[in-house]
Amino acid sequence: MIHIKIDGKELEVPEGTTVLNAARQAGVDIPTLCDHPALEPYGGCRLCLVEVEGARTLQPACTMPAGNNMVVHTATEKVKSARKFVLSMIFSERNHFCMYCQVSGGDCELQNAAYGEDMTHWPIQPNWQPYEVDASHPYFVMDHNRCILCRRCVRACAELSGNFTLGMEERGAKTILVADLGIPLGDSSCISCGSCIQVCPTGALIDRWSAYLGKDKDTQSTQTVCIGCSVGCGIEVLSRNNNLVRVEGNWDAEVNGGVLCEVGRFLPMVEERDRVVTPMVRKDGKLKAATWEEALNTIAEKYQPLIGHANNGVAAMVSTRLPAEVLYTFKQVFADNFGSNMVTSTDEEKFATLNSVKSEVGVYEGKLTDLEEADAVMTVGIDLTKDHQVAGFFIKRAIPNGTKVIPVNYEANGMDAFTPYATKINKNADLAFVKTLSANLNNEEAAELQNKAGLETAEIDKISSILKSAEKSVLVYGADFTQPEETFRALVKLAKETNSKLVGITGKANSTAAAQYHLDKPFVMNGHQSAMIVLGDEEPTQTMIKKVENSPFLVVLSSYHSALTAKADVVLPVTTWLEQDGHYVNLDGKIQEAHKSLQSPIDVKSNLDVLELLAAKLNLELSAESLVAAEKAV
Amino acid sequence: MSKPKVASDWLAGCAGCHMSLLDIDERILQVLELADLRATPITDLKHPDEDGVDVGILEGGINNTANEAVAKQMRSRCKYLVALGDCAVFGGVPAMRNFFTIEETLRRAYVETESTDDSGKIPDDPELCKPTNVRAVSEVVKVDLHVPGCPPDADVIFHVLAELAQGRIPEIKDEKLHWH
Repeated sequence: MIHIKIDGKELEVPEGTTVLNAARQAGVDIPTLCDHPALEPYGGCRLCLVEVEGARTLQPACTMPAGNNMVVHTATEKVKSARKFVLSMIFSERNHFCMYCQVSGGDCELQNAAYGEDMTHWPIQPNWQPYEVDASHPYFVMDHNRCILCRRCVRACAELSGNFTLGMEERGAKTILVADLGIPLGDSSCISCGSCIQVCPTGALIDRWSAYLGKDKDTQSTQTVCIGCSVGCGIEVLSRNNNLVRVEGNWDAEVNGGVLCEVGRFLPMVEERDRVVTPMVRKDGKLKAATWEEALNTIAEKYQPLIGHANNGVAAMVSTRLPAEVLYTFKQVFADNFGSNMVTSTDEEKFATLNSVKSEVGVYEGKLTDLEEADAVMTVGIDLTKDHQVAGFFIKRAIPNGTKVIPVNYEANGMDAFTPYATKINKNADLAFVKTLSANLNNEEAAELQNKAGLETAEIDKISSILKSAEKSVLVYGADFTQPEETFRALVKLAKETNSKLVGITGKANSTAAAQYHLDKPFVMNGHQSAMIVLGDEEPTQTMIKKVENSPFLVVLSSYHSALTAKADVVLPVTTWLEQDGHYVNLDGKIQEAHKSLQSPIDVKSNLDVLELLAAKLNLELSAESLVAAEKAV
Repeated sequence: MSKPKVASDWLAGCAGCHMSLLDIDERILQVLELADLRATPITDLKHPDEDGVDVGILEGGINNTANEAVAKQMRSRCKYLVALGDCAVFGGVPAMRNFFTIEETLRRAYVETESTDDSGKIPDDPELCKPTNVRAVSEVVKVDLHVPGCPPDADVIFHVLAELAQGRIPEIKDEKLHWH
């Protein structure tokens, strides 16, 4: 432990703690700009300069490690005048006139720093040099006039997302933030994760929906969970007057630590589908607006005689974007009460086989956190730059630390550009590849398999030597296998042989819960007299529509109009993910609670309420503690 | 003790800061009890007293040679100079034209404006003052107190006037400093 004295407060901190963090522990406030808790210290802005007894000059607290018996002063005249000088220099560099920009949210850290030093003006005027504004990106704008060159965005791009799109060009006063080698942001390798805009301390990187449209202090913030995929990132939803303002990553969230991808941060902002705002019932061949009473009665009339019909009753499907409570109640209504043999989820059987053999993994089952600690990662059957991107960030950002990443795909994988170990195999040859690798590790002959996989011996040798020499290797698999069960078993075998952790990165937000409730069989109408689709805010696929469009009586619970609701006999308007509470189980099996962040339109009910109303209409027995049971069951 | 004399003038601004001064409402009577309001754009006197005033207040930035003259006269005749509002403090909205050349802005204003016909012409009468870059008051004369805001809140202006009238240097911090 290191003994340090800051402004008269003495404390012990572990070796390696910076003076800044020690000061924070001591409750001493040191202003910062380029520093960010989620990023490595950089020491660029010099706002955190402090006086260290015995040091010749002022020292930056953010990069200075606390030394034993160090005596630090943070509020001397020398320090204060240095801070004002640093701020004056920043203000004099570009266009930092608060009156031109103030409305960018009122959360400008540069402005707050100036307030902190009671600056009423700056002594040096800027040289009125206009800089470019890059508005080529669909989601955000890069305004160089507001940039203070703190490089938080550059570090976030590298350290959080591992994408290395942003960088700095030129030196001194000509220094400019660039994407790739100086091309418009919209044409660059940017993957739209938006981490840069979340860390920007000024209005230099701003999103298109919340910037210049009111102050952040007038917004409401709700901490909840992203349901874009099964990673389950913690998010903060900002709203004003029940309008979605912005989605930010929750820095305190255990799963993602503040990082988000395009799906979580921006797709909710570009939602353009039309809401279903009232129940609709088909009359004389046309869908007509109806009351809830009418709509529920129409369903109840059709459904009452179908209770107890296993084969020719109601075939029901529920979205895996819905909370566990909905999945559980849905199962209770249609499997337990109706006794239907066709009660499943929109995942259908996609992950069923994988789940059925998952118990065989045992101690080799890995978690997302294993990705960060791994020294070798091989991905098979998945492109983590396309979906479950945050898991991809965990892998990509580990590459500079020496982690060897081996993306195995038959087609181009977004990960290829980041690693020298990209491996291309033949289409549908995942199983052959895994088996070839196993054989190679055991020095067995597998020429035929290797040929099928389409790899040279040297390539296989290289991969097996990486996995053999790795101390913490992780095998990541997706769900796109032609022979899922065999491939999975081969992967388990490989994990055992290489002492690797096996991490499955598959599914939608609540696929794990759906699997635990056994809502995982292929959907077929097969003589059923009605199809009940609890779709929530999921977009129906063509395959799904094909399967149910000829059903004699189609009921759809949906937030949005779609080709499916157009074919329905009864459409019931339900809440979107932002308008309902509930639990989600992520791919690690971690149970997380989602919180309602927006109020739903007046005639829209939650998916759970609708199922319960329907059950009441049909006098069905729902266990009173169904929610508790749902939580226990997951 | 006689009441301190206060004079004010406006330069390249929009008069909004003086409007905000009037927004102190009935408190202006309290100010008048404490101070002797001399030449201002809202009183009849047009120049600060030749034998000087205690406090001079300038609204607006300095964007031509005439403004320069007014600022220099105010400085030479006041003991304590206040730059009132963002234009006086750093140039404000008029300073946006600094991102262009003076020729460009004149051409835009007198020739290229959509409402100008073919006879549009940049005024060049020798009697006219010369336009310059828009500057903060402090770039031309020494300023003793900066009161930022667009406009500064009436409460801030009252605080400044009341403090100065009672011979104290106003402190502008926290809520009084925050841009609303």
